[in-house]
Amino acid sequence: MSDLKQSLLKDLSDCVVDMDEDQVVELAQRYVDNNFDVYEAIDQGLAEGMERAGKLYEEEEYYIPELLMCSDAMYAGLDVLRPHLKNDENDDKHKVVIGVVEGDTHDIGKNLVKIMLETSGFEVMDLGRDVPPMDFVEKAKEIEADIIALSTLMTTTMENMERVVQILKEENLYERIKVMVGGGPISPSFANKIGAHYSDDASKAVKLAKSLVREAKVC
Amino acid sequence: MYQLTVYGQEEKYLFAVTERNHLLDILQSQGMMVESPCGGKGICGKCKVQIIQGLVNALTAEELKYLTDEEIDQGIRLSCLVIPLGDLTVKLLDKKEVKHKILTDGYMPELEINPVISKKVYDLTKPTLENNLSYQDLLEAFLDAPILSGDPSLLRSLPEILKEEQVTAIYAGNELIGLEPGDTCAEMYGIAVDIGTTTVVLSLVDLSEGREIASETAINPQKEYGLDVLSRIDFVRRKENGLKVLQSAVIDCLNQLMAELCRKNNVLPERVYEITIAANATMMHLLLGVDTASIGKAPFATVFSKHQNFAADALGLNLSPFARLYCLPGVSSYIGADIVAGVVVSQLTETHKNILFIDMGTNGEIVLSKAGQLSSCSCAAGPALEGMNISCGMRASEGAIEGVKINDNEINLKVIGEADQVGVCGSGILEAISEISRVGMIGKTGRLKKKAELQSDEKLQGLAQFLIEEDGKRKVIIDSNSKTIAITQGDIRQVQLAKGAILSGFYALLDLMEITMEDLDEVIIAGQFGKHLSVDSLVGTGIIPGELRDKIRYIGNSSKTGALMCLLSGEVREEMERIAKDIRYYELSTMEGYERLFTRCLNFN
Repeated sequence: MSDLKQSLLKDLSDCVVDMDEDQVVELAQRYVDNNFDVYEAIDQGLAEGMERAGKLYEEEEYYIPELLMCSDAMYAGLDVLRPHLKNDENDDKHKVVIGVVEGDTHDIGKNLVKIMLETSGFEVMDLGRDVPPMDFVEKAKEIEADIIALSTLMTTTMENMERVVQILKEENLYERIKVMVGGGPISPSFANKIGAHYSDDASKAVKLAKSLVREAKVC
Repeated sequence: MYQLTVYGQEEKYLFAVTERNHLLDILQSQGMMVESPCGGKGICGKCKVQIIQGLVNALTAEELKYLTDEEIDQGIRLSCLVIPLGDLTVKLLDKKEVKHKILTDGYMPELEINPVISKKVYDLTKPTLENNLSYQDLLEAFLDAPILSGDPSLLRSLPEILKEEQVTAIYAGNELIGLEPGDTCAEMYGIAVDIGTTTVVLSLVDLSEGREIASETAINPQKEYGLDVLSRIDFVRRKENGLKVLQSAVIDCLNQLMAELCRKNNVLPERVYEITIAANATMMHLLLGVDTASIGKAPFATVFSKHQNFAADALGLNLSPFARLYCLPGVSSYIGADIVAGVVVSQLTETHKNILFIDMGTNGEIVLSKAGQLSSCSCAAGPALEGMNISCGMRASEGAIEGVKINDNEINLKVIGEADQVGVCGSGILEAISEISRVGMIGKTGRLKKKAELQSDEKLQGLAQFLIEEDGKRKVIIDSNSKTIAITQGDIRQVQLAKGAILSGFYALLDLMEITMEDLDEVIIAGQFGKHLSVDSLVGTGIIPGELRDKIRYIGNSSKTGALMCLLSGEVREEMERIAKDIRYYELSTMEGYERLFTRCLNFN
């Protein structure tokens, strides 16, 4: 691998961590101009930077604003790189349906999880907020999702998470489609009780999602 | 079936239990008071009990988070996560909080005293053989008004009345609501109430003089079933009878406080003819026994928002049998009667100024007056500013650190009461973080500097001793006398979330009304809680932008003041009812670009 390519990959990653949107765009353009493999730039440059940002978030070094600014930088780079990407790399991605459950409109937490999942190579279908339980299941069936990820900030709407799990069971999809839950009032024992999986922040959600699809593969 | 033995502070209870459920649920359905601010979700760590004897499920992962090793050794568990597996003996650890500081004073604009309730005394003519009318007919002719027969108690009182030479008629507006034997004009009282999610405040008012005699406060007893509005709504949904339980709790509390107020001030409860109540929408629904489910989820509809007028008797309030109940008008699920009261007390409509009004609490309610034009929003600040969701957080009671100052490498504390400090309350957390930010231990992003960074900085060297690094996480020790009390990075994040929510609410409303922070003439902080947050802390943490420092004014519990004004003036009621219709409400969470705004507002200055 050429030194230039290697150093560009490292700089791309660093600039994502440093939230330097302009610099990322410039680097991505140089990378493309040199005809290097675009997929690697995404995987080992941008995504790697985002993964480091996620780690800093987990270590309490970074907080929501930094994480969002890192993702701004990453998406800016992605916009430059994506048109040059050959199509075939996209096919075998694991799929996640994500949304805020019916009755709640607070979606900042959900958006963070979505960003982190996307940068970790998941294909994420975002249904937005105030989403009826049935819609999650319908969409998951339609796109053959591996995971449904549910979020809420409000105690009063937690029951709708349970409802999603119930529908999956009724339709015999519970074994195939895993359910992840998170948000202010959610605890591990609640997740356990309703038969879902819990993570307490966006970074851990990625680890959980990865381990869930890994498990599914083993089965 | 198994036997449950519960030791309280001084007493012991025995129950035969058949339900298989979490211990907290069992205790609550047996009527035991266990504090569970999060409503039994295993996320607040406050419902601790000690298992003395018997078999229960194994320690859960969450409990490990909230219990110290020492507590685990003593058999202490979180009752919401414990499932009894047979006969069980437990001890309650919750010492009833006694010495709460609750603020009742507040600013009240001048108003013309013109209560809705009035009295008039008449000399009686008695029936004679020639004029043999019934007592009812006689009085009706006399008063020139019908004596309503909807309630036989009025008829029952007539013989007593006719024994006297005089009769006193009691009116609500023009309507005759009751009669009393003799001349009772000198005694005419009313009660003004604020039912807050956390505290209940009552004022006894002399209606003839237009004077507040005294007030009493208590912790809202519903708090045992959930600290915030949402956990109470959830309680109503989950528990059979939940609505009844919460309604009775608050009505009992009102009756108790009213009895106490009357006794202490030598007022007969029968001489109290009206009670006016301000509260947020959920508290108002619960008081009237109306289901709250719709308030708890989008689109957050209330069952009612308008003012209400009932016989106080209908709720079982122990006052005069004729007493009326007036509930102040609200706007929506978030902007309740408490906020409308605040708007009137702050005179937001009678001005050509631009004024920002905020009632700080788990939800921060904000009203902006642009030269009298009113818009409002609500922001999910979370409970951090009330000392909850904070590692060493507690409510403002005995032993709470309420003030923190960092001077010359020393940390000075202000503690409530004489007890040893056991935690930090909301104002303490806010001031601690404001100070930590001021001295530069955190930067703009809210990240605590590493020990090495502090040590290598000449100005911060002396403070490095307070910073502890543990498992890669940092915290600032503010007290280690009787117990280690620290502000963790996580605590700072919680306050940042609260700050982000409130500040973004300000900006969003200003934006909608097309004015800027600089255009504001005044910032009004309402609520018993907001009063404890100093200007320095509010500005220091950036909840209120620095340029507004000199424009901040505190008005105390404006909800109760509003109820008081309604008691004293029929015109104020009409004004409130009119204003309630004029306040526009904006939902922040679905607003375009709100996420970015919120995120920007998380940063410190």
